[in-house]
Amino acid sequence: MSEALYGQLLNIAAGALLLTAVLILWRRELASIIDVFALQGLALATLVGLIALQEGSAELAVVAVGVLVLRAGVLPWLLRRALAGAGQTRRETRPLVNVVSSLLAAAALTLLAYAVSQPLVALDPSPATHAIPVGMAVVLIGFFVLVTRRLALSQLVGFLLMDNGITAVGFLTTAGIGVIVELGISLDVLLVVLVLQILKTRIREAFGDTDIDDLRELHD
Amino acid sequence: MGILLQLLIVVGLSPLLTGMMRQIRARLEGRAGAGIGQPWRDLRKLMRKRPIAPHGTTEVFRIAPLVLVATCLVVAAAAPFVTTASVLDPVADLFAVVALLTLGTVALALAGIDTGTAFGGMGASREATIIALVEPTLLVAIFALSVPVGSTNLGAIVTSTLNDPAQVFSPVSLLAAVALIVVIVAETGRLPVDNPSTHLELTMVHEAMVLEYSGPDLAMVELASSMRLTVFLGLLANLFLPWGIATTGQPLLVAAAVLAFVVKVALLGACLAVGEVFLAKLRLFRVPELLAGSFVLGLLAVGASFFLA
Amino acid sequence: MNLVLGALLTALAVGALSAVAGLFLPRDVRPAVVGVGVAVSGASAVVAGAAAMTGQAAALVLPDLLPLAGVLVTVDALGGVFLAVTGGVAVAVGIYGIGYCRQHGLDARGVQAVLPLFVAAMMLVPVAASVGTFLLCWELMALTSLLLVIAEHRSRPAVAQAGRWYAVMTHLGMVAILIGLLVFAAHAVDGSFAALRLAAPGLSPAVAGLVFVATGIGFGSKAGIVPLHAWLPRAHPEAPSNVSALMSAAMVNLGVYGIVRVGFDLLGGARDGAAGWWWLLVLGLGAVSAIYGILQAAIGTNLKRLLGYSTTENMGLVLVGVGAAGMFATSGDVTLAGLAMAAALLHLVNHAAFKTLLFQSAGSVLAATGRRDLDDLGGLRAGMPGTTAAFGLGALAASALPPGAAFVSEWLLLQALIHGLPAAGVSAAIVMPLAVAAVALTAGLAVATFVKAFGIGFLARPRSPQAEHATESPASMLAGMGIAAAACIGLAVLPTLVLPTIGAVAGASVGATDPVQIDGMTIRLVGVAGALSPLMLTIALVVGLVAALAGVRVLATRRAARAARLWDCGAGPLSARMEYTATSFAEPLQRVFDDVVRAEQDVDVTHHDESRYLVQLVEYRRRVPDRIERKLYEPVLAVMAAWGRAGRRLAPGSVHRYLGYGFYALCGLLIVLVVTR
Repeated sequence: MSEALYGQLLNIAAGALLLTAVLILWRRELASIIDVFALQGLALATLVGLIALQEGSAELAVVAVGVLVLRAGVLPWLLRRALAGAGQTRRETRPLVNVVSSLLAAAALTLLAYAVSQPLVALDPSPATHAIPVGMAVVLIGFFVLVTRRLALSQLVGFLLMDNGITAVGFLTTAGIGVIVELGISLDVLLVVLVLQILKTRIREAFGDTDIDDLRELHD
Repeated sequence: MGILLQLLIVVGLSPLLTGMMRQIRARLEGRAGAGIGQPWRDLRKLMRKRPIAPHGTTEVFRIAPLVLVATCLVVAAAAPFVTTASVLDPVADLFAVVALLTLGTVALALAGIDTGTAFGGMGASREATIIALVEPTLLVAIFALSVPVGSTNLGAIVTSTLNDPAQVFSPVSLLAAVALIVVIVAETGRLPVDNPSTHLELTMVHEAMVLEYSGPDLAMVELASSMRLTVFLGLLANLFLPWGIATTGQPLLVAAAVLAFVVKVALLGACLAVGEVFLAKLRLFRVPELLAGSFVLGLLAVGASFFLA
Repeated sequence: MNLVLGALLTALAVGALSAVAGLFLPRDVRPAVVGVGVAVSGASAVVAGAAAMTGQAAALVLPDLLPLAGVLVTVDALGGVFLAVTGGVAVAVGIYGIGYCRQHGLDARGVQAVLPLFVAAMMLVPVAASVGTFLLCWELMALTSLLLVIAEHRSRPAVAQAGRWYAVMTHLGMVAILIGLLVFAAHAVDGSFAALRLAAPGLSPAVAGLVFVATGIGFGSKAGIVPLHAWLPRAHPEAPSNVSALMSAAMVNLGVYGIVRVGFDLLGGARDGAAGWWWLLVLGLGAVSAIYGILQAAIGTNLKRLLGYSTTENMGLVLVGVGAAGMFATSGDVTLAGLAMAAALLHLVNHAAFKTLLFQSAGSVLAATGRRDLDDLGGLRAGMPGTTAAFGLGALAASALPPGAAFVSEWLLLQALIHGLPAAGVSAAIVMPLAVAAVALTAGLAVATFVKAFGIGFLARPRSPQAEHATESPASMLAGMGIAAAACIGLAVLPTLVLPTIGAVAGASVGATDPVQIDGMTIRLVGVAGALSPLMLTIALVVGLVAALAGVRVLATRRAARAARLWDCGAGPLSARMEYTATSFAEPLQRVFDDVVRAEQDVDVTHHDESRYLVQLVEYRRRVPDRIERKLYEPVLAVMAAWGRAGRRLAPGSVHRYLGYGFYALCGLLIVLVVTR
């Protein structure tokens, strides 16, 4: 495809990435948060697939399919299973920072990400590198979600958001991290999710709920 | 042969010095006195007594009087009393001489502790305190004396003063002399630091350490303390007033030097005795003040030797 | 491969083998094999050091042993002195340890394996020739000594606390040295000492001063200099006596080695006048340490603590000599500087000899009686004649009286200080008399201290049942003490054998030629007037003793001695409680120096239930705290504890808070990155 078309399609995918990140910040119900996360996985896979198409690399195409399966399929399925066993709390009712402030913070973080990424973009201006700030913004927004949500599941989603953002930046800068590296990172993420799930179950068994703030009673 | 002559004079005439000082004090206090030769008579009597070794004492108690006498003999042999050239010149360093005399005192202090009596320990403790506090003054005064000469060798200091008599009247010499007089009073146990003729044990410093000695041991201790006094006064005399000392080995000069030495030491002893009549003994805890005062004088002497040089 | 390198490698190899042997041999032969191994290793090091001092040099480069920099070893004359001293101490302590470790239950695998490693580390520090090698060997020495200090922590809880103090202070010192050397190396091509020497003239005075002060803090703390001395009087009483001897006689010397190496050799501090204040600082701190150390020793009653404070005093005197050497060198008079440095090095060697002997005898007393406090000892002459004689010899040497060993080095030091007056201007006119006064006060207090230690601890009658039933140590301990005693006597009577070599090394380190000349049995100073003959002095004393004895024999008419009671005012036999104790002996001194010492007393009176006028029990407690610890350390520790308590508020238990810290830090860093682009 032509450069211009490639650039535009890439921007749409990046935009979808950012939009889904902001939506996760906005939505309250855990079920819809997981659905939005699955959509983000789709957007990420599309991004990688576009790069694969432009580079003409079969390896990248395989990676794109892998990303689709993992981040839009397996991970949301695991999260929904965890949600099914979650019990009463299916809504994030009292986030630490209220929704309006969260959205304003997301805007500020996006601006920060743009400011920080300027040198990277200046190194090699191309359609791919112009989308790097979006990836950085997704990382920062994911960290923000991790910090400000009370329920363990939302924090998990925030962590996965960070990972999506890092993957996106990785593919955009180097046009191919390599199958091995991507495999390794994905395995790590999978393990983290499983471990956190087990922990969450244990916490719920002990304390009846997974409100992290209740853990404060443990300090001396 | 200067060594033998010096030894004979110091050993033979030091009890007479002690006798003379006691006689002067007695006359000034209105008593008849026992005569100048009494210390020799005492020594002879003590030598005739049977030696006694108290229970529980070790060799230190028995050797201490010997060490005391030996150190006094070495200093008497090495110091320039009669002649300036001595075979023992490498030993005639002012620091070495002072350290040897301290060794004698240390031996006596150890003997005092060795008796295991409270008086012995008390005497040793007080003597150790006085030694510790006298050292700074002593070494700084030696420093002051050595600066004009450039050496601490006794022969060199005496020769330098002989060659430049005006040196004696400089502020450096006068300050150093006053500091050394206080040091000598402290080291030989005279008033006002210690009363050599006291009978109250709680006021004793030197006498308390030797309470358990008797017979020949006591004779040696008494002889050694007379010799120490002679040696110290001899050093004071020849460091500041060396005129009369023989610079070569000519018999006439040597005889004149002997006479000069005897006269000088006797004069100094007489002045000391007269001074003692008018002084009372200081409390032990006032002695550091006296020694600190003499230390300041010594320090001023050193400062003067630099700034007025 | 010349003699120096061969002997050094032999020493290290034997040490390593002994460590392995200590790990694998059965218990009954372990102490003997390890002790002999340490002694052989030490003897080899003495040979290497002596050969290096006489001019042979050696170098060894092992580039792959350490990452990045490799191991560089260079044996030169200055390092040779410290190598020889360490080796000599190791010989005596190795033999001594055969009997000591068996007696005291120290024949465990850990202790016996670490002891040769400690000695080997101490041998490597003076020959390290690059920053990396030096720091590695320094840290090895610190770790092995720490393991040895806490060797008896199971039997006494005080040992663990002493170990903690030692660990913290030695590592803080290490950090200071690290900072200094790294700042220095940053200005040079690489970390080897040769490169540092080349880079030194290009350093600005501020940077050079910073390097000197930083390394000085670390090395001074190791040498036990006030105010960083607090570990010394805590670690020495609690460590086993052979380890205390090694630490006091060999390890603290390496602090002085560091100051001399960095100050004179690497930084070239003797060459330019701007470095004058360094040496003034060293001299001042040395003088203060000397006085403070000996004062605390004079007042104290714990025998090994007393010896530890005496180490502070002697290292202070060595630093007075080093500081004076530096001051003279920067003002141009290199001959006098060589003399002062020779006095300092000779005092270091003498101190190693007599401190080893003193700690060995103290360990012997501890093993025989189990008591550390002088107030509980006494009357040991009857049961332990060899140990008493050894301690007496060591005490004579330590109090700087003739014919002791330290008299010669103090004489040299005083000569250097006295002749410095015309040389270095107004500052010298003020400093030199004060330095002489400080050395003199130290000497006087040292006399009082060792009269107390020897007299109260060994003479008169025993003050406790353990002292009464003390028996002499086994032959190996006596042999070890004998080696150290022989060294003390040799250094006292025949310093003319070692002085030319030491003088040459000292002169070379400040850029002068030999400062002392030996003329038969007399030591003559070069460039200034002064001469002393220790041999003649000793002979004269012996002749005087013989003359006095002969005089008595001839003149006294009755010979047979009679034993009699001591004067007890007719009231009956004296008991041991009537003897003077160490506390009472030191009481006049403590009163005179009360402003510095400030003893603390508690008197608790318990009255009878029936009446307030009748006393049932009076309890009196008196302790002399280390005033510098009180004034300097406790506020610093209080501030750190307050910081720690304030830090707890950072951890309230909220997971969100902890995650937030990370998030804010990341955002903050990114903002800073953007702003400072």
